[in-house]
Amino acid sequence: METGIRILLLSVVLALSGCASLRNWLDRDTPKEETQDEAAQAESDDADEAPPRVIEPEVARRKIKVPKIDTENFEVGGMFGALSVEDFGTNPVYGVMAAYHVTEDFFFQAEAGRSTAGKTSFETLGGNIQLLTGDERQFTYYNLALGYNFLPGEVFLGRGVAMTSSFYLLGGIGSVDFAGDQKFAVSFGAGYRVLPTDWLAIHVRMQDRVFDSDLLGENKLTNNLEANIGLTVFF
Amino acid sequence: MQRSALARLLLLLLPLLATPSLCGAREYLQVFVTEPYLELHTGPGRGYPVTQVVPRAESVDVLKRRTDWFKVRSERGVEGWASQKDMQRVVLADGSPFTFPLGDRAGFTSHRIEGGIFAGDYSGATLISGYGSYSFNSQLAAELSVGQFLGNASNGTVVDLGLTHVIVPEWRLSPFVMLGTGIVRIEPKATLVVPLDRSDQTAYVGGGLRFYLTRRFFARAEYKSHIVFTSRNENEEVDEWKLGFAFFF
Repeated sequence: METGIRILLLSVVLALSGCASLRNWLDRDTPKEETQDEAAQAESDDADEAPPRVIEPEVARRKIKVPKIDTENFEVGGMFGALSVEDFGTNPVYGVMAAYHVTEDFFFQAEAGRSTAGKTSFETLGGNIQLLTGDERQFTYYNLALGYNFLPGEVFLGRGVAMTSSFYLLGGIGSVDFAGDQKFAVSFGAGYRVLPTDWLAIHVRMQDRVFDSDLLGENKLTNNLEANIGLTVFF
Repeated sequence: MQRSALARLLLLLLPLLATPSLCGAREYLQVFVTEPYLELHTGPGRGYPVTQVVPRAESVDVLKRRTDWFKVRSERGVEGWASQKDMQRVVLADGSPFTFPLGDRAGFTSHRIEGGIFAGDYSGATLISGYGSYSFNSQLAAELSVGQFLGNASNGTVVDLGLTHVIVPEWRLSPFVMLGTGIVRIEPKATLVVPLDRSDQTAYVGGGLRFYLTRRFFARAEYKSHIVFTSRNENEEVDEWKLGFAFFF
């Protein structure tokens, strides 16, 4: 069996090399005549002006493959900060964000975050009163926003390091899941972005998430301020 | 046994993933400056200052692109960001012009992918939605949109898949029509009598307008008329209005 395969492989190799040499031989024949003709013509045309060309260049024009340019318009990362839920104190918040940079000025941003609200002063003072269960205290939000970059600049670290930076404004819509209910929320804020390298960005942001709440008896617009620090990568 | 062999094979392949520069021919595109000089900004934006220039006939390597800016490295190793406008005037090694997709009106007329976000109204509830679409040609596109509506009586999610036909794509303000199907999931608020979640299939027909703003941006407004195929005897009709921003690339 094994010898059979060997014979097969050997014959394939022989056949291939035979074909190759045959092609070389055929190829060599045809252009030779042409070059001879051309040379003769050149000689008769300008016999005393230029010496006949000895070597005919047979360089085929190479097709240049253009390398693809790496586009880095997407940005993803995480964030951590503090969220002040109106009437429920300030608590840590963590989340993820992703952005698509459409132009140098505008970008689309999606973000989602979670925090756990604390106690209202009513609960703290009232002793055993619990307004919300543990699950209901979880404050989860998502937000789709449009961002606008402005005040581009550079930050200098000592003599040798310069990092590009920019301020940006954010305005968006989303929803907040809090106290067993999901509400439509509008958010607006501003941020500051510093890029230590081309692909890494540090964000410092401040946002206000506004939504209607009737949790404490009356229907009112609540302002929930959030400050966070984010780390994102461009790809 | 087989699984461990596969794992070993994957382990062997792992270093290849980590070193793409070794196995892939990752070389940069070289372009030549034809204008008196090419300005290099410190960052990808017109506000960043120009600190270096590359003189005519010298070449630069194109390292990466971010929005309308190209990061390049000159023969002397100087790196900086060149604008799209300046990069339109450089040539490749064989003298042919350097071409790349531009975010302009021509791109608005004909592009492959677009996406956007909307705010609107879904049968009286506030709607937040996002969409993505893939264009087969400048007129016809397949579109997927996902939305969430938040109302006083109920919340819910809407997922739609359908076709969009732009009637005259060349116009700056161009109308389009839509047809498709989807699913709506309605979660009535707990205080109501029937606190049962339900999912129903829907079909929609709609239309809208898109308006080119600048670069890769456009505004889009649309109306969809949904028919919800409920499990009850009669079908429901739901109106959806929305307005938002979108981009293409």
